[in-house]
Amino acid sequence: MKMKSLMGCLAAGFVALSSALAVEPGDTAPAFTLTSVKGESVSLADYAGKIVVLEWTNHDCPFVKKFYSGGDMQKLQETYTGKGVVWLTIQTGQEGKFPTAEKLAELTEKAGGKATAVLRDVGGAVGKSYDAKTTPHMFVIGKDGKVAYAGGIDDKKDTNPESIPGAKNFVVAALDALLAGKAVEVTKAEPYGCGVKY
Amino acid sequence: MQKTAAILAMMLGGGLCLAGERSGKAEVDLISSASAYQAGHPLMVGVRMKIDPGWHTYWTNPGEGGMPISVKWKLPEGWEAGPVLHPVPISFKTGDLPGYGYEGQVILPVFLTPGPEGGGKVSLAAEVAWLTCDDSACVPGDATLSLDLDAGAGEPTPEAVEIEAALDRVPQPMDGASLVVKEEAGKLLLTARLPAELDASGASWMPATPSVVDLAEPIQAVRDGDSWTATVKKHEYASGPATALELVLSGGKLQAPLLLSWEKDP
Repeated sequence: MKMKSLMGCLAAGFVALSSALAVEPGDTAPAFTLTSVKGESVSLADYAGKIVVLEWTNHDCPFVKKFYSGGDMQKLQETYTGKGVVWLTIQTGQEGKFPTAEKLAELTEKAGGKATAVLRDVGGAVGKSYDAKTTPHMFVIGKDGKVAYAGGIDDKKDTNPESIPGAKNFVVAALDALLAGKAVEVTKAEPYGCGVKY
Repeated sequence: MQKTAAILAMMLGGGLCLAGERSGKAEVDLISSASAYQAGHPLMVGVRMKIDPGWHTYWTNPGEGGMPISVKWKLPEGWEAGPVLHPVPISFKTGDLPGYGYEGQVILPVFLTPGPEGGGKVSLAAEVAWLTCDDSACVPGDATLSLDLDAGAGEPTPEAVEIEAALDRVPQPMDGASLVVKEEAGKLLLTARLPAELDASGASWMPATPSVVDLAEPIQAVRDGDSWTATVKKHEYASGPATALELVLSGGKLQAPLLLSWEKDP
């Protein structure tokens, strides 16, 4: 725990004015096209009619490590992609100040990431269009292309993996509801974590 | 220069100096205001945190993207710990996320009450966890701190003055000072009534309760006789109507930081 805690976290950004219009549940999810760490062009439109999860990440952030160190995020990715959900992991940053595609692919490989694709949001335009504030910051998009959930992954705003089993995971709840054709109960919760590095 | 300072610190620390625990971007230790404890008599201790230059840690209301300091006690049977008291924080922005917290050194005072019986040497321990951030990174820290104390009359320690000074910076409620919050169309109308002798001109208003008030803009209060009002934006992620708020007023013409509490009538 302590060794891990010594590692730095590239996190908060430098953009002074970011009162971008927040994406609200019920809004149409902003379209985007990004390049994956494998060099593929990935558009949200490619997955029209599917449930899509957007996960903002930063491997150095202690709040992200909380979910990767014990395999919790990877398990969510595996479980839900297995049910036909598309899971896109996105890292926002300025070129030269965040991992290269090769490095991000390597970090994902090492962590055993099971996302559909890992994308780089160079310059932060996509992050801004969703008003992604923290890592992690989660968005669940329904088959209708509308945002069904936006916010923190759960209700335990800490860096301690031991809090995960007792937490209320809003992404799991939203995905299970959507997969069952039910209404999502909690559509919005406060995001917590390191700041996205714009 | 740094070496001289280190040697000087060692000399000043003398035999009493216990090295703090270093983790992440801070060094923490547990200090006591008295060299011994007496059964049944509250004892003031403090969690002292020395934060590396350029980094900050967080208040009870960390703002966006931070995390409050957590303290979990491991005390001898019969001992009880009061709340962890937080001195007035500073406000800052981490990148573009507003927050409240501490830079440099902070001491969080806590009153511990030994059980009514017993004596002898005791070991007090606390598990402390925190998050420090600067503009480009966040690093967590955690440490288990301990302090051994003998039973007896004891004497004030050299650290007693430091803990007292921190306690003076902990906002306190005051008779005749009250807060009312009304909600209208996504805005919160805060009305503070203060005793006539208090002048809150120039004071900073800081919500100690997280996720109630939006922090993007500093709170601007207007005086009307003994009442001070401010209209603020409700926090984006406030869950339902506001039901409780603790508000700190500090600085300006106030002599000491003031704590105002409001709870909605059931």
